[in-house]
Amino acid sequence: MDEKAEQQLTDLLAADLDGGFTELVRVHGRAVYTFLLRVSGSATEADDLGQDVFLRAYTALQGYDPERRRELKPRAWLLTIATNVWRNHVRTCTRRPALAGVSVEDAAGSWADHRPGPEERAALADDRQRLVTALLELPEHHRIAVVLRHVMGMSYAEVAEVQGCAVGTAKAQVSRGLRSLRQLLDPEVPVWEEVTT
Amino acid sequence: MKQSDHEALTRLERAAGDLIGLAADPPDDFALRVLRRVGIQREQYDTYVHLETPAGGLFVAAGPHAVTGAALASAGLTATAFEELHRVRTHRSAIRSAKPFPGVVPALRTGRAGRLPVDLSGLTAAERAVLEAVRTIPAGQLRPVGWIAREARVPTTTVVGALARNPVPVLVPSHRVTHDSGAPCDADLVPGAGDALRAAEGIDLERVAELRRGGVVFLGSDTTRIYCHPTCAHARRIVPRHQVPFRTAHEAGRAGYRACKSCRPVTA
Repeated sequence: MDEKAEQQLTDLLAADLDGGFTELVRVHGRAVYTFLLRVSGSATEADDLGQDVFLRAYTALQGYDPERRRELKPRAWLLTIATNVWRNHVRTCTRRPALAGVSVEDAAGSWADHRPGPEERAALADDRQRLVTALLELPEHHRIAVVLRHVMGMSYAEVAEVQGCAVGTAKAQVSRGLRSLRQLLDPEVPVWEEVTT
Repeated sequence: MKQSDHEALTRLERAAGDLIGLAADPPDDFALRVLRRVGIQREQYDTYVHLETPAGGLFVAAGPHAVTGAALASAGLTATAFEELHRVRTHRSAIRSAKPFPGVVPALRTGRAGRLPVDLSGLTAAERAVLEAVRTIPAGQLRPVGWIAREARVPTTTVVGALARNPVPVLVPSHRVTHDSGAPCDADLVPGAGDALRAAEGIDLERVAELRRGGVVFLGSDTTRIYCHPTCAHARRIVPRHQVPFRTAHEAGRAGYRACKSCRPVTA
């Protein structure tokens, strides 16, 4: 998304919250969904969490004054929320294992699983499938950084902003993530450690 | 050592390149569910769907009460590009939806879109009149620009311009409009789309072209002494030995023929 379009979006957000939010969902819905899909590995979860992200975003925007909405960097801001929602979700899941205490009636609706079935798996290029699986094996903070940098195509500065760390740290996370990704994909070939001073 | 270092780096770069391909499209109604859940008024935005037509994919956007825009995807138009265009033209957001506006699918299937509510409010009064006249052309029939001008009560010169600004191609069937010579206008369509749509409606393109080459504008029947546009339902059932071709309405009038009351050819 170019700068002019981004400017238009934030101007609209400042002037008209509902209209601006609609544009925000239209323009950035795909980015938020892709991010959640690639860090969670499940289409159902990405969908649910994506809904949460935008609900949180809207609630937050209601509390912001127009000036603050104008200053917003929409994509980085939304992905920061997405990252937080995802981390909260992981924490909740480890504390409360799935389906404990959910009645059968409630659980019945959640059985539909949109993860690729056998047919889709076959259709998916083999390499792509391996890449998706390998990505899910990375440690959490490396995976988020790699997805942000290389799947979403964000700059290191933006990644650092979303992760709430220094640019150098973001670079290191991405590079380590990529390195282990390569090792997961190609275990026989050793990856040479880069020697830096 | 140096060599393998280099190799390792390119392999890493390749892995990074593959990652870009992992961007994925959310379910069709993802954004729509977000807006509903947050409680944005339905009047605030338009929804759109991608439907199949004989001329390729068609994006159809609609507000809560009427169809507000459409575009053929055959010109390499992506969903994102359609959203941007819709935004620029109507200043409304087009949100992807899984459910088409009621009546759009049957209208596309049958070619009868005359009763579909279509919002033409972004146009001038003359342009609206032209497009409303175009909407009355029955499926499978063609009408010349002069006919549209008379029905819409506008000068002939404004018709082609208004057709080019048609915001809802296919559903406002501008592919059924021809120049007075009989050649199709297709002012708002990509090349090939018009022919595909006409062929799908059962218009015999070869026959139309043949009549055009012979300069035939109207067909009369020597049993009823009535003349029609050649694609009019009544003209199509004149058997070949009773067909009488005319180049002008004047010529037909002189021969003692009257105009068809269904397709209402221009008489003057």
